[in-house]
Amino acid sequence: MADEKKKLSTADILAQARAQAAGGDDGGAESSQEDQPQESAAAPESSPSEAPKSTSDILAAARAQAKGGEESAKPSGGDAPKGTSDILAAARAQAAGGDKPAGGGAAPKSTSDILAAARAQAGKGGDSGGASAPAAKKPAAKAKKEVPVGDLPPVKDMVEAMKSGKTTEEVKGGPAKPRIPTKPPKSPKPAAKAPEGGSRRNALLAFLLAPFAMAWTFVGVVGGLGTLYVARFMMPNVLVEPPSKFKIGPPTDYGFGTVATKWKAQYGVWVVNTEYNGRKMIYALISVCTHLGCTPNWLGGEQKFKCPCHGSGFYITGINFEGPAPRPLERAGIALGSDGMLEVDKSVKFQEELGQWNDPASFVEV
Amino acid sequence: MLETHPDLTSSVIFGLGWLYFLLFLMNAGWTVRAYKLDLENKFLSGISGSHIPSAAVWAFYSFLMLMTSIAHFTGSASPGSFLIRMPEIAKSGIDWFANPVRYFVLSIGLFVGVVWFRKQLVKPTVAWSILNVAILFLGLSMTDYDFRLIVGKPDNVPIVGMLFILGFFTWLYFKRAVDNDQRIKDGRPLFEQEKNDKILVWPDLVYSELICMVALTAFLVLWGIALQAPLEEPANAAATPNPSKAPWYFLGLQEMLVYFDPWLAGVVLPSLILVGLAVIPYIDFNKRGNGYYSYEERKFAVLTFLFGFLPLWVAMIVLGTFLRGPNWNIFGIYEYWDVHKLEAANNKNLSDFFWLYWPTGDLLGGMPKYDPQGSAANMFAMILLREWLGIVLILGYFMVSPIIMALTVFRKFYVKMGFIRYMIMANLLLWMAALPIKMVLRWTVSLKYIVAIPEYFFNI
Repeated sequence: MADEKKKLSTADILAQARAQAAGGDDGGAESSQEDQPQESAAAPESSPSEAPKSTSDILAAARAQAKGGEESAKPSGGDAPKGTSDILAAARAQAAGGDKPAGGGAAPKSTSDILAAARAQAGKGGDSGGASAPAAKKPAAKAKKEVPVGDLPPVKDMVEAMKSGKTTEEVKGGPAKPRIPTKPPKSPKPAAKAPEGGSRRNALLAFLLAPFAMAWTFVGVVGGLGTLYVARFMMPNVLVEPPSKFKIGPPTDYGFGTVATKWKAQYGVWVVNTEYNGRKMIYALISVCTHLGCTPNWLGGEQKFKCPCHGSGFYITGINFEGPAPRPLERAGIALGSDGMLEVDKSVKFQEELGQWNDPASFVEV
Repeated sequence: MLETHPDLTSSVIFGLGWLYFLLFLMNAGWTVRAYKLDLENKFLSGISGSHIPSAAVWAFYSFLMLMTSIAHFTGSASPGSFLIRMPEIAKSGIDWFANPVRYFVLSIGLFVGVVWFRKQLVKPTVAWSILNVAILFLGLSMTDYDFRLIVGKPDNVPIVGMLFILGFFTWLYFKRAVDNDQRIKDGRPLFEQEKNDKILVWPDLVYSELICMVALTAFLVLWGIALQAPLEEPANAAATPNPSKAPWYFLGLQEMLVYFDPWLAGVVLPSLILVGLAVIPYIDFNKRGNGYYSYEERKFAVLTFLFGFLPLWVAMIVLGTFLRGPNWNIFGIYEYWDVHKLEAANNKNLSDFFWLYWPTGDLLGGMPKYDPQGSAANMFAMILLREWLGIVLILGYFMVSPIIMALTVFRKFYVKMGFIRYMIMANLLLWMAALPIKMVLRWTVSLKYIVAIPEYFFNI
């Protein structure tokens, strides 16, 4: 119940309030405080299915309630107020109706009163519409089965309402909405008595809302397609990047104490053959500076990697020693294949500061 | 003998001829001005004991410039034997400043000198002389191949222009401010009130703007035609140009990145610069100096801003543009960009100093180590233990020093500003000071990071 109350716009509420005011003139006196407990009692069964589904429904319900006030002092199918605000609103509505039998509904004190009363009536009206059918429980149960449409997208409803709202009879007598149980029982009588002005407002409102509905539909469709397209974009048919695993020839290609720069341009690695921690080994250093990602150069004369961007320097081992680089160069995975070729695997990285250089996959001993 | 990198060529000499001719024209005009105002050169008059008009001195100087210009035009045929060039001793003297410490001290010294001698500097003759010296320096330096290579790069031409414009506007500010300060002292009306020559927006301002617009457009078009865009070969992830320089206006940032971690120098500090500039109006409680130039009434604001702008931003741009060479080493402006220039630098973190080098290193016997495969909590605790000194220092710097400052130098500020505004100002000041502090620490004790936690990419 609280859900569909949220759907009420100010315009709706005012429209309902006016409708209620009209009803109050005629039969506001008949709605008494004894209604309340009964409504509460009937609530569990009736409320789920009888929720007005859309603005136009609510409006119709409000109008119906306006009529209903004339006819029945006991709108038996009311629902239990769910929240404090609901209770307060209901109480205010009741107070307005009860204290001033004749004029209470007709002359609300303030805007907030009008709004509160309208909300209360919207809730009550929606339910009373459904409940005024002879047996309140059975139709409700039936309605539940017939109409699993409680979650209809409001946009669709609005468009529908816009289309159907052009004539009073369609809105009321609803061939357009046979599925919604609040309508059919109510429609014959109230429709005849419904004030002409109300339906015009309804139609006008639906007409004014239509562009927004269409615009949001459009935005939704475009956004959805765009998202799908982006998802598709993330999975290209062809990947134009070097494979992460590649062979670099036999270990004998890399003499001791040298840094091979021949793979730097193609794969972004240096292959180093040197001594580290007392072991002679070949390893592959990734040629990306750990400071800001520039590509350092190997300076053979100085025996160091030197970054041209901010001057970071690394020893042949990859350990950082000058400039701002906070950590050593990273190693790529390397292994000696069964064919005697070294194979570098750039998809794995080994960081010294995390102790990963002891991993046997990060070097090949020679 | 064929020189591959000749200091002088015919076209350079010829071009410099035009530069000196321009100097001649400028100073001829200045001579006329001095003659009309009937200025006296007090220095020479004092020496000779007779009245020596200033115009005579300027006329002599202009004549000298004309002769120099003619010498360039006529001597351009044999560049090898051309004599007017920067002497080698001056070159090596200036190259001596190509060292971060000396350069930084020099820029701070210049800044202090400008503020200190502002009353002398704002005199037209002094300012004109400085301009002449600057142009002469540029012209003489152009006789050096390496200098020409750096300054002549299309990228760097606007920076040379910027330096002159910057000098002019700084001078203009101090001229107005010194004038107003004197007026306030004498009880006279401010310059802005006395010389309030209001003009109409239409047509005066609009016409001026239109003319400026046309002139500037023409200038930019000519510039675009004369100096080609410095396009390079297609980008290649595997080959970073050496040196790899940011656009000139970001060279200050790039210089900061040499001393700080990327997230700090690339994200936090630039954001703080922008935010700090934006909050200036909110933390400035000094109501004076509003709507007119003044130095005496706004000392703190002016000095803080100028310190942040001139030595910390412009000087960094100049350093990055003219002094940073291959491998981001520092080179003198007349020095050959040797890719293999070796600069000894072995930077260490504060934790290295504490656990390994200082007397504490012997006592404690090595860094706290953790098992990389061990639990995260253990790793975290060991990192905290390893870096405790740096963390304490940083926290102290940002939390304790504002209090100390409030109790000492900023006592009045604190009272006037209130807690929140004072803390914002103090923190912004501390952040600004962090840059030179870190630079000095790097240069003097090779300190890399005060807090170094590469495991979490957190380095200060």
